[in-house]
Amino acid sequence: MTSVAKTMDRPVTSSWASIRNDLVAYAFMAPYLVLFILFLLLPAIVGVYASFTKWGIIGEPQWVGLRNYDKLINSEIFIESLQNTLYFVILAAIPLIVLGFLLALLVHQKLRFRNIARAIVFLPHVVSVAAVGIIFQWILERSSGLLNYYLGVLGVNPPINWLGEPESAMPAIAITTIWWTVNGNMIIYLAGLQDIPEELYESARIDGANGWQLTRHITIPMLLPISAFVIPLTVIACWRVFGQVFVMTRGGPQGATFTVAQFIYETAFVRFNMGLASAAGVILMLITLGFTVVQLRAMKVI
Amino acid sequence: MSQSWRNDSLFRDGSLNRGRLVLYAILIFVAIVWGAPFIWMFVTSIKPDTEVFRYPPTWWPEQPTLEFYTRLFDSFPMLAWFRNSLIVAVITTTLTLVTNVLAGYPLARMRFRGRRIVLLIILSTFLLPGEILLVPLFLGMVNFKLANTYFSIAVPPAANAFGVFLMTQFFLTIPVELEEAGRLDGCSRLGLLWRIFIPLSGPAIATVAIFTFVRSWNDFFWPLVISNTDATRTVPVGLAIFVGRGLSMRFGVIMASAAAATIPAVIFFLMLQRYFVRGISTTGLRG
Repeated sequence: MTSVAKTMDRPVTSSWASIRNDLVAYAFMAPYLVLFILFLLLPAIVGVYASFTKWGIIGEPQWVGLRNYDKLINSEIFIESLQNTLYFVILAAIPLIVLGFLLALLVHQKLRFRNIARAIVFLPHVVSVAAVGIIFQWILERSSGLLNYYLGVLGVNPPINWLGEPESAMPAIAITTIWWTVNGNMIIYLAGLQDIPEELYESARIDGANGWQLTRHITIPMLLPISAFVIPLTVIACWRVFGQVFVMTRGGPQGATFTVAQFIYETAFVRFNMGLASAAGVILMLITLGFTVVQLRAMKVI
Repeated sequence: MSQSWRNDSLFRDGSLNRGRLVLYAILIFVAIVWGAPFIWMFVTSIKPDTEVFRYPPTWWPEQPTLEFYTRLFDSFPMLAWFRNSLIVAVITTTLTLVTNVLAGYPLARMRFRGRRIVLLIILSTFLLPGEILLVPLFLGMVNFKLANTYFSIAVPPAANAFGVFLMTQFFLTIPVELEEAGRLDGCSRLGLLWRIFIPLSGPAIATVAIFTFVRSWNDFFWPLVISNTDATRTVPVGLAIFVGRGLSMRFGVIMASAAAATIPAVIFFLMLQRYFVRGISTTGLRG
């Protein structure tokens, strides 16, 4: 995706000049590479190593082989957190992608006030998960919440105890998440829509294609490269769901919204079992990487 | 695309036919769904206690009050949280800008050994779930007695690769002729970057700066883990731990604190909208 701009470097003549050139390049990158290695690369490697150890908050790590993974596989709580998170991914990722695309289509139409609508949908992007969680706890409140009131107006009775019942808590978290983050996908798809050459539509229209056919046979295929990274990034973000759950339910009721990230948080920073938490982190990483590879394969990107 | 829809029977411009009416109805519905929670938060924050739980909900209080905004600062150390968030965001943003501009230059403009592999490793971290980093970073910070410092909250997030990618992409678009001219004048690499690339990269630099700032301002998991005193705790962490923990009866104060945390961000966004759009559409990453 990035290729060096042509020309700016003449072919390197002597080996000294070549080494000097390399040194200059790495000198420029050094400050970032220090940050990258210390706070990204090294922690990632240590994280994988830690997953094979017993490691408390103090003291030396002890190598325990695959024991942490064995514990996790046999842990009901962990398996449930995986199931809950998968359920959340299904509930949230699909609407985030589809709705993101549809919203982009909508605000791409030549409509008056579309810029205002775009800005409003985008607003939640700058709001922290803490504030979002607070606002939505109030909106989803059972007896005086806004959502139940308007659902009641539409004939949905009795009021739903959104965050209080195991069946509805995860959908409620998903609704909150969609409201909060769909704007990212909308903006990416919008940028994609603006890049589709006008001629494609013109020639199709000459052939008598209608609006739906234009969307189906031009817009969606032309946005495929964009979907190739929107889909994995959305799915990865959903697998990592944490803040909404932390603020709104703390994993409850009855563990119904206890996610993998919540498991990692509690295991590492409440019970200080660093090795076990790292193993859960590795499993999370393997799941998201596995999904990304399968999805990119399916879309014939790799 | 809008051009192409214009001649379609459903989407003809100028006349309000049925298709356009439906589109406008959807547009209004969307604006309400995404706008109402903000208004509801604000309206709740200026409602006296007697009106908060009124049912059906009222969209404007009979007796609006700003009492909760004044009580806010007695109830929670909001000012300290704000100060911490600001300091953290400024450190992260400054560090990100300086290192990313420097790193983007050779990645876009120089041929050197290992360039492809460096790019590949940096970009592959986009797919890395950050949870795997939390434990090692936490243990490292604790080990070096750096927990509960601005350093520990603000510096690790600056390793994020988004800005490097964006700067590299942007530097690639700068015409080669300008650089050649600079070199003929005997400019050093650093001189070229300073006198030619940086002045031409205002929009990209602004995008990285604003994006990083907002990401840092709203960052949650890492600050939650690494700070546990009000001396370093940021706004989102303070809100989540003390304010939002199962809404209590002090509703006005809770909503006022959420509003106080949100309103600056909203104003900030409205002023700098286009940079957000550019940042997201370039990289697809969110804070």
